[in-house]
Amino acid sequence: MQAGPHNCMNKLPGKIVALECNSHMSLVDVAVEGDTFTATLLETPEQSPYLKIDQPVTLMFKETEVSLAKNLSGLISLRNRFPVVVQGIERGAIMSAIGLDYRGHSLACVITTRAVDRLQLAIGDQVEALVKANEMVLSYEH
Amino acid sequence: MIQVNIQRTLHGVQGDFDLNVDLDIVEGEFVALFGPSGVGKTTLLRCLAGLEKPDRGRIAFNGSVWFDAQEHTHVPPQERHVGYMFQDYALFPNMTVRGNLEFARRKGSSRQRVDELLELMDIAELQHRKPNALSGGQKQRVALARALAAEPQLLLLDEPLSSLDPTIRSRLQDEILQLHQRMGISTIMVSHDVGEVYKLAGRVLVMEAGHIVRQGSPAEVFSSGQTTGKFRFTGEVLGIEPMDVMEALTVLVGNQIVRVAAMPDEASNLHVGARVMLVSKAFNPMIIALE
Repeated sequence: MQAGPHNCMNKLPGKIVALECNSHMSLVDVAVEGDTFTATLLETPEQSPYLKIDQPVTLMFKETEVSLAKNLSGLISLRNRFPVVVQGIERGAIMSAIGLDYRGHSLACVITTRAVDRLQLAIGDQVEALVKANEMVLSYEH
Repeated sequence: MIQVNIQRTLHGVQGDFDLNVDLDIVEGEFVALFGPSGVGKTTLLRCLAGLEKPDRGRIAFNGSVWFDAQEHTHVPPQERHVGYMFQDYALFPNMTVRGNLEFARRKGSSRQRVDELLELMDIAELQHRKPNALSGGQKQRVALARALAAEPQLLLLDEPLSSLDPTIRSRLQDEILQLHQRMGISTIMVSHDVGEVYKLAGRVLVMEAGHIVRQGSPAEVFSSGQTTGKFRFTGEVLGIEPMDVMEALTVLVGNQIVRVAAMPDEASNLHVGARVMLVSKAFNPMIIALE
């Protein structure tokens, strides 16, 4: 598999561009390579002062939380949709690992082998990656 | 209430540094001292026990002065009623288990006390054995019983469980916790184990180079890290097995064994016995009421 040089879940560097908060939660928009990603956190700027506009952060999400779509149309509640190119496919009996390129960043996802067949995924395919905002974790440098 | 304000020069590997601690401990509190080796944690315990003298400062326990450099007061260890459990247990090798406890018993206290402790710590059957005929876990129990034999007002535990395997360790943590809840003895414990500190201590003091650099509840102190994931469990990797395109990690968290799916790259940094932190967002868990 050509999942690329990352040794702990998918990571993308970005910057906080918008914040929406209530007493317990924050909806954080992060700009990465010109796209906007969203993370919902059970944290507030009062508890976590790093939650501020222009703060550099790293978005992290587990490989098993990424879905892939081809020719997706209609409305969807999911907040994180971004274009990726299939770089490698490692088929297993039940699960398969897919290496992805997102605007020069290596990512990976794990979906069922059944889904790989249903989408007829092949290397070089341009597909859409989807991640729920709940599954996005932010980390930052102190 | 224990009031400590002491200074002492320590000779570290990288030169001399000052132990400088200003600390109040409320009666019945369970406090953990956390930090790397050689920062003065053991020295602080030894000063409290009266085994070492600070250079300057004062130690008072419930109003009575144990140490005061200016007044030249230094109450000897046996008059402080402190129970001290040493890192290496330091059991008397030539005495039986009972003998070790009898020796530590507070003068004038009843002999029944020793019988009670032998029962309590589940070591009555070992009472005629000598320390070299005991397992690590048994020695640990005897050392804890001996520390309690002095009917201490203050219990000092110096990495009490560091040499034990995880299962025994977890069981003895439960026992220490129950003992503390039952007897309410003010306790100070040195530990390197985040899980242990979480489980036992109400307050944790993080020490670096002779100073307390941070303190608070274990949740406050240990969750101020970088990741926003809300659930963090530290555990030990028990097994790594291939699972299709992923790896199945078997991890001991507390005394539960869990299986976690990992990417091969994640697993390649790990080995059996490695310590890991499992982080999960607060949205994931389903909650099932048990009452």
